[in-house]
Amino acid sequence: MERIIAGFVADLRKSGIRVSPGESLDAVQALGFCGIHDRKSSRQILRLTLVKNVNDIPTFNEVFNRYFSRFQFVDPDTNLPDLMDAAITNMEGEFNYLDQLPGDDHDENGPLLKLDSDINPEDLAELKSLTEIDPDDTDGIEITVQMKGYRGKAKKAPRPTRRYTQNPLTIELNKSNSTQMGITFTPEEQIAMQDVVSRMMMRLRKDMKRMKNNQNRGKLHVIKTIQKNYRHDMVPFQVALRRKRREKPRLVVLCDVSFSVSHASRFMLLLLHTLHNQMLDVRSFIFNREVAEITEMLANMPVNDLMETIDMGDIIDLDENSSFGQVFLAFKKRYLENLRGRPAFIILGDARNNYDEANDWVLDEIREKARYMLWLTPEERDTWSRGDCLMDIYGSYCDKVEVVKTVEDLSLVVEDLLRDIYADRAHPIDRKRLLEAKAAEIYDSKDYYTRGTSGGAGSEPVFDPAGRSHW
Amino acid sequence: MISEQGVKDLLNTGGYIADDAIATAVFLALHMEKPILIEGPPGVGKTGLAKALSTALDFPLVRLQCYEGIDEGKALYDWEYGKQLLYTQLLRTQLDTYLSVSADLREAVERLSAEESLFFSKNFLVQRPILRSFLSEKRSLLLIDEIDRSDDEFEALLLECLSDFQVSIPELGVIEAKRKPLTILTSNGTRMISDALRRRCLYLYIGYPELEREVAIVRVKFPEICEDLARQMVSFLRKARDLNLRKPPSVSETLDWAQVLSILKATQLTPEIVANTVGVIAKHQTDLQKVTDLAAQELS
Repeated sequence: MERIIAGFVADLRKSGIRVSPGESLDAVQALGFCGIHDRKSSRQILRLTLVKNVNDIPTFNEVFNRYFSRFQFVDPDTNLPDLMDAAITNMEGEFNYLDQLPGDDHDENGPLLKLDSDINPEDLAELKSLTEIDPDDTDGIEITVQMKGYRGKAKKAPRPTRRYTQNPLTIELNKSNSTQMGITFTPEEQIAMQDVVSRMMMRLRKDMKRMKNNQNRGKLHVIKTIQKNYRHDMVPFQVALRRKRREKPRLVVLCDVSFSVSHASRFMLLLLHTLHNQMLDVRSFIFNREVAEITEMLANMPVNDLMETIDMGDIIDLDENSSFGQVFLAFKKRYLENLRGRPAFIILGDARNNYDEANDWVLDEIREKARYMLWLTPEERDTWSRGDCLMDIYGSYCDKVEVVKTVEDLSLVVEDLLRDIYADRAHPIDRKRLLEAKAAEIYDSKDYYTRGTSGGAGSEPVFDPAGRSHW
Repeated sequence: MISEQGVKDLLNTGGYIADDAIATAVFLALHMEKPILIEGPPGVGKTGLAKALSTALDFPLVRLQCYEGIDEGKALYDWEYGKQLLYTQLLRTQLDTYLSVSADLREAVERLSAEESLFFSKNFLVQRPILRSFLSEKRSLLLIDEIDRSDDEFEALLLECLSDFQVSIPELGVIEAKRKPLTILTSNGTRMISDALRRRCLYLYIGYPELEREVAIVRVKFPEICEDLARQMVSFLRKARDLNLRKPPSVSETLDWAQVLSILKATQLTPEIVANTVGVIAKHQTDLQKVTDLAAQELS
């Protein structure tokens, strides 16, 4: 039996679940305690001991179903471990066969039905009810198992269904896929984003916590110190210090949502959505020709709904040509007055102004209010001087201009920014230490090329390192 | 020793309707003496399981609520400085006579240091929850609640306690558990818990229960609610969970609602009743509207 579990664990590892030797020992031990009764309970035991994360449970189930496939029936009286070993060895041929047919598990009955549109709805419903047998129900005699599969779990006898004029099933099948035009996120994308952000948070947290601990310390808190040292006869062994009041760093984000940069801006919005409330006070704006604040919506709406609302043009008109000059002017008029606390400023856009007035003097005013200004553009540096792009003019007002193309780029840039913000407000000693650490870091010119072009591995450097990001 | 089914029955009689996965986990934890890490959305009965187990198995419950900044002084042990000082004060005269025999200062110090261990003995040790459950004469149930609220450092501190059931105190040495407690850790998943801690535990995910189990839970807690109403409530709430609410109604909300309905002596769900009691199910302003809309759609 140990061999079977070891094989199963190896399969799990192959599918990306990390299982330690200790855990597989636990699994064997647990099976020993509970005994092997039926498939369902054995699966539960293995899952309890081997899987340590919710997200891994579907993968585990898949591997379990593949590894312990349903063609083994064991008489409970016979010697179980030997028999199972033998069965598994016999199965080897079958596994090879499965390996050769990778598309094997894709043939469901759904697509078939769609092709054959002449089928009458009753038969169709009947066919649809031929569900796949849940592998957990495969204990028992072969015939009952098959019956369960045919009649469904409820064991209802097949009976004539009423003829629907509008069978919900056919409606479902005829629904075309082309309605999904807007930009929304698939669950995988959202999970990937969560992953990127959580990794980023992990990296950041360590530094920040240490800084925070030192930062919070202020002058001696006399009363608290006396209280604390009451037990030591008032000898101040332990010192209580006043805490400094601290606020979350503020961030203002201006995000272009016109079609030319939509792929970058949607990730920016998703990043903001995920970051929101974690450690930042973010005010978010989107613009095309007009500018609108979406801070509240970002905090309260599911991100996909928000994307749809933006794509529909409900918040700002997307059909207009984007105009950075207009937007800056409007922003100055409506929002600049009530920005407080010297926020860091991020502008995401391609700086293509459609030959409108540049109004770059507004950026100068924003600069005065902002602690830091960062421009993110999805375009490579060598295209900045072409056409209506005003990147060089706008860039001269910014502390930094970065090229971002993927989520990883974006998260790296934002991480750097957050680090800078925290370092900026850190205690002088910490700041000094941080700066020293930064200076001591070995400067690797490769960083320049990998950042911003991390999409394709080993891509050629296309722009001059010296002039890339600092003015 | 109790069997798997025995665990389930025990919990059922104690008013906690467990499914197979929960029963198996508890059974294994009892036998393998391993902690269980329970994850799941808030209000599905993670802490409730621990409480129900402690009454059903008659293990005294030792509860440690985690929070940001919790440390060993709050979780494992602490020295009772006040008592130490008081004792030195009270024993001063005796110390004087004891030390007066010594010829010089050096000898006095030696004599005193020979007795030093007196002041770092178990007499002056304050047992915090984890140590208390380890030293309990009877097998106890240690509940470490909402572990995700604590910091990484505290998690690392727990590793020794949870894998070997022992506490190292520098002044005293290693203290081992007299009876290994049944340990339950709960987490709401607000923070990823490290793999090292996960590896030392059995992992149990409690999600929202199936229809039948949830109906059974309502019926056990509130027998005065009839089967039909319970079923109607539960299926309505299950639909509400699919609405993408900010705070989806959990089992605890189901039970609150059942209580409200039994006080109102309702026999059937109507849109009006839902509208009047919606505050029990939905906990955000935006959610209120969605739930009342659902009620109007489903129940009229």
